[in-house]
Amino acid sequence: MAEALHARGLGRRYHWRGGFHDALVGVDLTVPSGCVLGLIGRNGAGKTTFVRISSTSLLPTSGSLEVLGLDVVTQADEVRERIAVIPQESRPLYWMTPLELVSYYLRLRGAPVREARARAKDALAQLEISKWGDTQVNRLSGGLRRRSMVAMVMASDAEVLFLDEPTTGLDPLARRSVWEAIRKASRERRTVFLTTHYLEEAENLSDRLAVLEGGHLLAQGTPAEIASRVQYPYRVTVESGFRREDLAPYGPVSQIGSRWLLFTSEAPARELSRKALEKGARISLGPVSLEDIFVQIVGKEIEAEEVGEDAAT
Amino acid sequence: MPRHRMRSLWALISMNGFLPLRRQPLYLINTLTSPFSFLFFFYIIAPHSLLPYAVAGGMILTVLSIGTSLQADLTHYKQDLKLQEMVVASPVSAGVYVTGMALSEFVYSIPGMAVFVLLSLSFHSYLLLGGLGVFVGLVLLWIFASALGFTLATYLQDVRETFVISPLVSIALSVIPPVYYPIAFLPAWIRPLAYAIPTTWAANLIQGSIGAPGASLSLSQAFLDVAVLLLAAAILFLVAWKKAQWRET
Repeated sequence: MAEALHARGLGRRYHWRGGFHDALVGVDLTVPSGCVLGLIGRNGAGKTTFVRISSTSLLPTSGSLEVLGLDVVTQADEVRERIAVIPQESRPLYWMTPLELVSYYLRLRGAPVREARARAKDALAQLEISKWGDTQVNRLSGGLRRRSMVAMVMASDAEVLFLDEPTTGLDPLARRSVWEAIRKASRERRTVFLTTHYLEEAENLSDRLAVLEGGHLLAQGTPAEIASRVQYPYRVTVESGFRREDLAPYGPVSQIGSRWLLFTSEAPARELSRKALEKGARISLGPVSLEDIFVQIVGKEIEAEEVGEDAAT
Repeated sequence: MPRHRMRSLWALISMNGFLPLRRQPLYLINTLTSPFSFLFFFYIIAPHSLLPYAVAGGMILTVLSIGTSLQADLTHYKQDLKLQEMVVASPVSAGVYVTGMALSEFVYSIPGMAVFVLLSLSFHSYLLLGGLGVFVGLVLLWIFASALGFTLATYLQDVRETFVISPLVSIALSVIPPVYYPIAFLPAWIRPLAYAIPTTWAANLIQGSIGAPGASLSLSQAFLDVAVLLLAAAILFLVAWKKAQWRET
């Protein structure tokens, strides 16, 4: 399968008076064409920096990155013909209507007036905001404004779409209409590069995932590949019948309200469910969610950093 | 220019010029207040023979306001709306973006400029050569001001910084140079500084072209004015080309 994006040792260092900060460090990432890649990470993990370099707004300070086989530094103009981006916290021009926003964005990219208008109407329908197509943006809710922004890039003819937290601030139904638009783009064999804080969203939409923390890429692959890498692939919720000290030998335990949450591996999970049946204890058991995987991967990294810092002091 | 680039240009002019003006015609006031206020002061306190200088100054100030508005809009679009990032990640080049935006700012100046041209004709019916002088002077000044506005906007981190930069640019471009009066009125010690600023040459060209009293303009002087303006516009264009941060480094 052809590659939509390929980063090799990608780094970005910001300098300021007397110091520097590495927003990205030696990132190697491959995204096949036509897939949805979910880039997840905490605030400040480097997600937006990665998107800005990929979408040619920011130069890397080390390594290289190709989009559709084109170098983002030396062939930026060619890359720009084939990509579109919604930056994080972007906002629409308030005096325009959603229909104008989308159609003028397409005209800006070179589309003829009629074609731009027709494609804009389709995109608004796709995002279920046609009803507000002729309402000035400053009279719309934040969610409708955000969906108007998503409609802009969805309506474009770009082959690679970079969506930097496109659903932030949207209600669950509005988020689902954005998800459907992303799935449609994927069905059209366009590559979608999605950064999000909502792990449920990444889990639902992504063919592949990448986890960033502190500028380092901690994991990448299909959700199943990433899940197979974690130490504790099972999540056990215990409502009654066990004390914390009974569970501790099986894996890390935490308390959520009146319940215990245990992460464990396959054999202990079997043993625990057998014991629960014998004791009549109430437990539920299943594979870990993406959120659990994220906590395990990122948590381990933070722990390692803290140990390193302690050792240094 | 390829057809799709023309479409990009027209889209920018409409998005940032005609559309907001259609929705909020009061935007016009912003560009008209300063030049017409100065014209009014001249009318009240100065001999009426100096009114052509006020008209020439009004034309120049109107064109300079394109540069300051452009700087504010570009900063707002880059820092607050993140529109510039969307444009960077598209087939639109920096040149098309800044030209489209500069033309869109010109839309707001059309009514004021029309009034000033009519007023200048009422003082002195200048012929083709005079009209050409005014046109060339204003176009070169527009390129200079737009390139300056674009370059500054790419370095500003917040739209509030334009509130500091714009008045400084205005002082440098429209207060020190003799925009509203003949250069002979300036004290001798400040004249060398005034001649280092392109607006002085534009003022000289336009004041002479509209036949302001005492502002005689020979053909060689007109060529010199145009040459200096051309050089200033080219330098600023080059600075914008090389130093403006279309892509963050």
